[in-house]
Amino acid sequence: MDTRLILHTFLALLLLLIPAGALYLLERKKLPRFCFVVVRMMIQLLVLCLLVWALVKVDSAWLSMLWLVAMAIGGSWLVQKHCELKGRAVMPAVAISLFVGVFLVGMWLLGVVLPVSAFGAHWFVPVMALLMGHSVSMLIRGLSAYLSALQEDREQYEFLRGNGLSHLKALQPFMRRALLAVIQPTISNLSVLALTSMPLLLVGMLLGGLTPINAFVLMLFMVSGCVSASVLVLGLTILLVDKLGHQSSPQ
Amino acid sequence: MLEFKDATIKVGGRVLVEHFSLIARDGQLTCVTGPEGSGKTTLLRTLMGFLPVNEGFVSVDGELLTIYSAHAFRKMMAYLPQQMQLLAHQLREPEPLEPEAEEYAVWNGVLPSVIKESRPGPLNAEEIMMLAEKTLSEAKDKPIVIADEPTALLSPELTMRMIQLLRQQAEMGKTVLVASRKPQMIDYADQVVKIETR
Repeated sequence: MDTRLILHTFLALLLLLIPAGALYLLERKKLPRFCFVVVRMMIQLLVLCLLVWALVKVDSAWLSMLWLVAMAIGGSWLVQKHCELKGRAVMPAVAISLFVGVFLVGMWLLGVVLPVSAFGAHWFVPVMALLMGHSVSMLIRGLSAYLSALQEDREQYEFLRGNGLSHLKALQPFMRRALLAVIQPTISNLSVLALTSMPLLLVGMLLGGLTPINAFVLMLFMVSGCVSASVLVLGLTILLVDKLGHQSSPQ
Repeated sequence: MLEFKDATIKVGGRVLVEHFSLIARDGQLTCVTGPEGSGKTTLLRTLMGFLPVNEGFVSVDGELLTIYSAHAFRKMMAYLPQQMQLLAHQLREPEPLEPEAEEYAVWNGVLPSVIKESRPGPLNAEEIMMLAEKTLSEAKDKPIVIADEPTALLSPELTMRMIQLLRQQAEMGKTVLVASRKPQMIDYADQVVKIETR
């Protein structure tokens, strides 16, 4: 980081004087909290960027894979926390599904669609991070919908089993509800026309120097990958949660 | 033909049914009756393979019911559970509303909150009857019908319709086993077996 970059960073941070000043005038007790989250955001971002910088610098396929494994474990913890699944052993199933689902779709994007050096950290890290982030978000919706439906509508499961359906067939209505919990927000988000506010990913790509057409194409690839990865991860998670004998899954 | 022979069923160390015997024949409507908590539902759930038999045995057409054979036997059965009113999703498939568009990972890193699904209301008596008719019409080839308190939430008119429906099943040559405390249901049964409270 040279002196010029530090100066420019300082100049950018000066912009924050506008909201800070407004808070100072109108809602003074929120000001410390605002300053705290700004500082925390800066530190988090810096640490994340240093990590990515190190991964790109070393550019080792094994290290990138290790990073993906760590992301999958971290993601599974977030899913468990947000789904309010305290003390329930879904973490291994979620971590394995996140890793496998994201890795398969990511490899398809990197190795076939783009195609680039699939394990090169420069491509591997951002593409996998994007797929992982989206899959974790959607899995929170899908898995919680699936588990709560199973708990609340156990009678339906028994009714279907009692009428001769196999275990997997009897789980289908619950899987459908989980799928809808993932697909419905996706439809909502995709149906919004981003005319006045551009998606941040697109903005990032434009700022990174891509032409608008290339940014559009890459955005399209990434959105397709995100939607596919989220559904694949959900399917794998449900199957694994069921196979590993989670307490909510009837047998 | 269904047979319980000297069957004892325990759940969590608690004896729910003790030394119970019954033969339900083809072409007959057999009604198991007894006071609340006497184990009627337990018997039917055991027959479905949802609960194990601790002593004695249960057989279907002479074949022993075990945890491994239960699924094959269930394929021969049509089942009307006690809590039919809770099966709203069998008649009305849940269609969650399309939520408002929100920022998500393609846009930024905000994690969504869990969406609580709104639960449908319980089925009314007409709907329960409709679901029973639908279930039995879809199970024309199945030789066994199991019904747990099928008339519990029905009006007197619908109770008669349900009894007629179950009698029709028996007249088709099926083995019909019902658990019920309703006098009307007991009156129309070919065989009544009473479970005494322990």
